[in-house]
Amino acid sequence: MRLLVVEDDPDLNRQLVTAFTEAGYAVDKASDGEEGHFLGDTEPYDAVVLDLGLPVLDGVSVLEKWRRAGRKMPVLILTARDRWSDKVAGFDAGADDYVAKPFHMEEVLARIRALVRRSAGHASSEIACGPLLLDTAGARVTVDGRAIKLTSLEFRLLSYLMHHKGKVVSRTELVEHLYDQDFDRDSNTIEVFVGRLRKKLGVDVLHTVRGMGYCVTEPEEAGKG
Amino acid sequence: MPVTTAPQGQGRFNALWIRLVGLAAVISVILLVSAGILLNQLFQAALERNFEARLRAVLDGLLATVEVAEDGSPIIQTELADTRFTLPLSGWYWQVTPPPGRNLSDLASASLLEQRLRPKLEDLAERGEDGIARFYLRDANGAHLRAIEQGFKLFGGNDEFSFLVAGNFDELKAEADAFRRTLFIILGLLGLGLVFAILVQVRIGLRPLRTLRQRLTAIREGKAERLEGRFPNEIQPVADELNLLIQSNSEIVERARTQVGNLAHALKTPLSVLGNEAQLNPGPLADKVIEQSRTMRDQVSLYLDRARRAARAQTLGAVTEVEPVLAGLARTLMRIHQDRGIAIAVDCRAGLKFRGEKQDLEEMAGNLLDNACKWASKNIVVEVAQLKTDPADGRAWLEIAVGDDGPGLPEDKRAEAMKRGRRLDETKPGSGLGLSIVTETAQMYGGTLRLGAAKLGGLAAILKLPAVA
Repeated sequence: MRLLVVEDDPDLNRQLVTAFTEAGYAVDKASDGEEGHFLGDTEPYDAVVLDLGLPVLDGVSVLEKWRRAGRKMPVLILTARDRWSDKVAGFDAGADDYVAKPFHMEEVLARIRALVRRSAGHASSEIACGPLLLDTAGARVTVDGRAIKLTSLEFRLLSYLMHHKGKVVSRTELVEHLYDQDFDRDSNTIEVFVGRLRKKLGVDVLHTVRGMGYCVTEPEEAGKG
Repeated sequence: MPVTTAPQGQGRFNALWIRLVGLAAVISVILLVSAGILLNQLFQAALERNFEARLRAVLDGLLATVEVAEDGSPIIQTELADTRFTLPLSGWYWQVTPPPGRNLSDLASASLLEQRLRPKLEDLAERGEDGIARFYLRDANGAHLRAIEQGFKLFGGNDEFSFLVAGNFDELKAEADAFRRTLFIILGLLGLGLVFAILVQVRIGLRPLRTLRQRLTAIREGKAERLEGRFPNEIQPVADELNLLIQSNSEIVERARTQVGNLAHALKTPLSVLGNEAQLNPGPLADKVIEQSRTMRDQVSLYLDRARRAARAQTLGAVTEVEPVLAGLARTLMRIHQDRGIAIAVDCRAGLKFRGEKQDLEEMAGNLLDNACKWASKNIVVEVAQLKTDPADGRAWLEIAVGDDGPGLPEDKRAEAMKRGRRLDETKPGSGLGLSIVTETAQMYGGTLRLGAAKLGGLAAILKLPAVA
């Protein structure tokens, strides 16, 4: 899962980036509207945290430009302006959620989790696939109730594939959603991670679709296919 | 905003209209009295001239008929035709007196009986160049006489006789009095008419000032935003200046308000940073920081709220269409509560208008809807109805009813929910039902908020607000 944080206050920006990184996301950051807009317009993010009071280009304009260009990623607005008119303006510009400053970091984390889940079409905070269970709220993975210890990258990889359960995800897509922009991307490493993940999970849910990418499916379905 | 009462001035009579009417009345009275005196004197003079002319006619007649007898005494050939000279003490007399020292008999009208008129020097009014002396005399009856006297040498003698003719001036007094009375009545009526005319003129003339005051009052009461309409040329500059003053005043307030808002909003980001940082590094210092930043957050909310209130008092004559506001809120809240799949139906006739600020309507309806979203299981219905205009005060009202299909509130709890919201300081941001702000804002517009049972089974919050008829 890859996020974009657009916030002009350096301290708050750093706090958000740290909190999201610790929660297992790959995070890119921008400190003004123009940079934020460019990143959101060119990189495939799973969610965006957008401050409204931004230098150069304000948040609502950034959001409107994204939506006009057909960018559909969920956007959480973060702002000091908490009047209903501000909220209506934000949502009408295309926001998906709204958190008013001052806020608790847990709340922003919970909202982003919910947004990512919702955009992938999952109503519950837990995504199941056979004996495998991904708890997005607790960032925990269990197989038949047994907790599996994963590195953040492994978790990110599994989380993304689980969110898009049943769909084939290409290697490039995975790379784009697993690493932040500063990371030296090498799609070959994905193969290594997938192999390690299969070993850790011990259940046959993670399949390689030759020439196309990877896919998470229920074990019995996999048996048929 | 302090409400200033109209200054009462130094005294009760410090009014423009009293000054104008008083001054005009004093001037009118002076002019009218002067005119009265002058007219009266002119009339008196004319009367006297006329009277003297009659006396001279008598004198001429007398000269023509008096002769000198052989002993030098004057004799009258034929009595004067005027019978008043024969009636005793009629006040009309004549007498011919020989020069003093000469022992000659005199001659007098029968009306004088045995008396004689003896004009003294102090009775002399005037001695004309024509040799005629005029006297003011009184006869035995006390009647006021006007007399003229002239000396003549009669044909056939060398002695200069004094010819004196007197008339009863009291007969004219009645005439003069009648004239004076009529004159005073006419002048008095004229004076009253003038005062009335001045009153009317002042009332009409000062009407623009009254209009100006009424419109200023309307501005102070929030019914108008500026002085509209044309005033007379003398007052228009004042009205223009007042408009500029009102405008600059509202600009200053607006600027101050914006700055308070900006400051409060600007504080929210550092507060977030402090709070988050403190939570990452637990300890006594972090606890203190969290506690203090919570206090600061409450302060920020309090001052933002005050700034909004100030803004409300400042904005005048705002009109807001209800439907777009409710539609926007419904859209937003459905988005916020997308996970729970809550549907908000807004039933509002297009063109229905709330007499007030858009932000206030948003805040009230937004809080009610947000509240309904918290409790609803699936559906929320917002119904807006224009109420019949109250015949008592002629004000139009509308009702916004927000009903949900949640558990609702029993009747006794409803009153409590409302009561809890009475005091602002008891409600912290994000806690409680959030009805306090709604109730307070509605009350500012003279409206009300009440809770009831919704058709859907849950709670209904009914907001009554002034509408545009």
